[in-house]
Amino acid sequence: MRPLDEKETTAVFEKLFKFVGNNLKNIVENPSHEGPDPNPGRYCFRLHKNKIYYASESLVKRATNVARPNLVSLGTCIGKYTHGGNFHLTVQALNLLAANAKHKVWLKPQSEMSFLYGNHVLKSALGRITENIAPGDGVVVFSMADVPLGFGVAAKSTQDCRKLDPNGIVVLHQADVGEYLRMEDEL
Amino acid sequence: MGKKQKDKIVLPPDLPPEIPDDEVEVSDEDLQFVNENRGYASLFSTLDTQSITKHVTRVADAKDDALEKLYEKRLRKNALKKEKEETGIQVDRVDALPIKSLDGQLYYRTAAKAESQNGPSEEETGEDGNDDKGLVKLTKAEKRAKLKKLRKEGKKQGKEVPKEEVEQTPQSAVLAEVKEDLTTEEAFESKKSKLAELGNALLTDPESNIKFLKDMVQICRDNDPTIVKLGLLSLLAVFKDIIPGYRIRLPTEKELEMKVSKTVRKMRYYESTLLSSYKAYLQRLMYLEKKPLFQLVAVRCICTLLDAHPHFNFKENLLDATIRNISSTNEAIRKLCCSTVKSLFTNEGKHGGESTVEAVRLIADLVKANNCQLHPDSIEVFLSLSFDEDLGKPEKNDEDQKFKNKKNKKRKNMEGLNQLPDNDRKRSRLESNSKTKEEVEAEYKAASFTLDVAERRQMQSETLSAVFETYFRILKHTMHSIATRPEVNTGALSATVEPHPLFAPCLKGLGKFSHLIDLDFMGDLMNHLKVLASGGSNSGNSSEKCPKVLTVTERLQCCIVAFKVMRNNLDALNVDLQDFFVHLYNLIMEYRPGRDQGEVLAEALKIMLCEDKQHDMQKTAAFIKRLATLSLCYGSAESMAALVTVKHLLQKNVKCRNLLENDTGGGSVSGTIPKYLPYSMDPNLSGALASVLWELNLLSKHYHPSISTMAAGISSMNVAQNQVILSKTSPTQALKEMSLDQELTSPQHNGTIKLNNKKRRTNDPAVSPSPSSTSVASSSFDEDELRKKLGSHFMLLRDIRENGRLRKQLDKTTLSLQLYEQYKKQKQRSKPKKKAIA
Repeated sequence: MRPLDEKETTAVFEKLFKFVGNNLKNIVENPSHEGPDPNPGRYCFRLHKNKIYYASESLVKRATNVARPNLVSLGTCIGKYTHGGNFHLTVQALNLLAANAKHKVWLKPQSEMSFLYGNHVLKSALGRITENIAPGDGVVVFSMADVPLGFGVAAKSTQDCRKLDPNGIVVLHQADVGEYLRMEDEL
Repeated sequence: MGKKQKDKIVLPPDLPPEIPDDEVEVSDEDLQFVNENRGYASLFSTLDTQSITKHVTRVADAKDDALEKLYEKRLRKNALKKEKEETGIQVDRVDALPIKSLDGQLYYRTAAKAESQNGPSEEETGEDGNDDKGLVKLTKAEKRAKLKKLRKEGKKQGKEVPKEEVEQTPQSAVLAEVKEDLTTEEAFESKKSKLAELGNALLTDPESNIKFLKDMVQICRDNDPTIVKLGLLSLLAVFKDIIPGYRIRLPTEKELEMKVSKTVRKMRYYESTLLSSYKAYLQRLMYLEKKPLFQLVAVRCICTLLDAHPHFNFKENLLDATIRNISSTNEAIRKLCCSTVKSLFTNEGKHGGESTVEAVRLIADLVKANNCQLHPDSIEVFLSLSFDEDLGKPEKNDEDQKFKNKKNKKRKNMEGLNQLPDNDRKRSRLESNSKTKEEVEAEYKAASFTLDVAERRQMQSETLSAVFETYFRILKHTMHSIATRPEVNTGALSATVEPHPLFAPCLKGLGKFSHLIDLDFMGDLMNHLKVLASGGSNSGNSSEKCPKVLTVTERLQCCIVAFKVMRNNLDALNVDLQDFFVHLYNLIMEYRPGRDQGEVLAEALKIMLCEDKQHDMQKTAAFIKRLATLSLCYGSAESMAALVTVKHLLQKNVKCRNLLENDTGGGSVSGTIPKYLPYSMDPNLSGALASVLWELNLLSKHYHPSISTMAAGISSMNVAQNQVILSKTSPTQALKEMSLDQELTSPQHNGTIKLNNKKRRTNDPAVSPSPSSTSVASSSFDEDELRKKLGSHFMLLRDIRENGRLRKQLDKTTLSLQLYEQYKKQKQRSKPKKKAIA
């Protein structure tokens, strides 16, 4: 377990910024209430075995007591480094993203399952969409009851969505909560 | 007018100028006369000059009563004049700036006043007040009669004056003056009567008397401004009546050469004369419109003509002049122009829509030329534009036609098939038949005024594009002024705030025509609105220090417009306008009851929070919390609107009722933010679900009864789970009702009755769908009963207090009795002791 170096930090922050925009400040400066300390600490990012973790400072302090090979996980895993050296957000980051999301898409109830099986979001599935999404922005996908289901990358801007035919792809799938079942071993 | 003249006659002329005695010239005849008849002259020795002068200042031969009446009349008239001057449109104060003397008195230039007062005001009101031909005639006839009378009396006066002249020769100068006056007045009158006669003749038989128009136009070139004004107005009346319902096309030379019948020639002469004099008249009007003295009259003529005959020749010039004056600084002129343009827009049938396009384009150019610095009225006229919705969907029509054509073709084909064996002659006849039919149709189209659908659609799209061009220009201009402001501020603190007077009507118009905006513009429009709604605060930290350029009301309106635009163009896609919610969230905080308009806030609440279908839980909770907090410090009307919104939101979002529970923290729903952050800028990050709506408890003790019941109702919402019925009252309604209430609730129980009604209405509208009349009756009944009850209650209260007082008295007396008794006992005890001692 070690703090991120500069390159890794920019990679992680750029990825997060796509989803949360200026709320990134919130993620970093969020006071933590874990542990017995009377004054709240902050959250920080740690790299451990190719995975990036988001954990409170008090937790990190305690985790140092565990030997590196023995430490399985700490805090919330938000993403991992692939073999190619790219950073990917994983579905565990969903809570963090959903709370601070800038661009959101709400799915109609009948098309929720389709998304949870790993498919892209089509125009016909859109229940609601936030205004001025640009293609390439990170989008968090919600059910109509405001339950976060996953996230992805916008394929079309909000304006284009109006003219899109019902089978056009609006959001490219990246992660969804169905992965907890489908890819239990990998996570 | 005539009355004034009469007054002049009876009232004395001004005293003669003081001439020293030695300068007085005595004619030889007089001398001789006096020498011959010394006896007569004896009266001169006893002559009391003082009394004579006194007498002259009054009036020689008139009864005192009548005189007094006259003076009274004159006084009244003067007062009236003064009033007119104050309220009136006529006097050009600019022309007659008062002079202030050293002792502080104001002297007005009386000449100018007299000039503008002398007659025309009455005349004008008479003229344009009665547009009817008959009435105009009547006034003219009256005028003439009065003129005659006037002359007679003038002569009489002429006779009267010499009587005194015999005695006092210096009055000859006065006489000359009076005569001069009379001649100018006579000239004036004669001109006037000539105008009247000409106009009359024209109105009675325009065909034969058309040549008089030229004379009338000639009169308008007079030097006397009053006559010019009268001429303009009477010409207006004439033209208004005789202008035909079609455009006049002057015959070409070729046509002139052709031989025509007598009637046609007469007609041509009539039309050409009419047109040429109309042109001359308009030229005169355009010339006079630039002169401040005649501006109002000229503009009135132009507006009336345009309003009455928007189809006639030279309408472009009229329109041009009207639009030029539309943002005039003169209120009366501006109102005139605006109302004319509005009537142009609303009565499109008169001119087939061409003038609308032209007017809108002219206004757009005007806005462009003046860099958006105009009076708001000039843009507000757009609001009276109306666009035909059906024209926007031309496909259906076309399809129908296509279908018909197909049918026709089919039938034709069928016929063709059937008639193939027939000979060629028949076919040729058929063809010729169809040809003639087409020709007839084309002619009919040309003859009838109804425009082609395609043409009308094109015109409408042109109008729309001009309107939106104007609107977008204003938006951009406002944006620009906001964007440049911070930079200017860093340079100089006292930077001039560039006003944006057109912004409010622009937003109004955008809201109204939002359904007609092209989708392609929408993105840009939304971006613009977003920046405007944020008040330019997102351009950096520097701008946060400087005061916001746009007011809260304007920014709220931006949000409202954005929502309207989105909602009206929303076909299948449900777009969440998150940024605007953020702005609204912050604007609620900045709202000040006295400064900003409560209606706008209520409308924003209604459109953005009540009518939108779904919301995030966090966001809703944040809004509920903020509205509840701020309704503590709003006025009662605004807080009622806020509470209605809160209730609405709570009814829709069951999860948000956690706020009504009595424990902080919010449990599992509170999300990642464990504590409520009241100053958070983003409703999604405020963590409102972790808080408790303690404000409702305070509000239930609000001084206004309906608010307190409303608050109590909301806080008990969680207990009464089965309450599913959504209340129908919107925040705007609530606000309106409350602001009415505030005016009405001088007696206290009045409010309580209202509260009862409201309670019934909001809580179970299904149970009591009683019509308003019965509710009114019941309320009046309630009032009586209530009064009785209150009376009995107060009686009881008073009884209780009386009772208490009596009891207290009783206690006192018993106490004093007891004391007395004790005292007696002590006395008795001490007596035996004394005795014992003794």
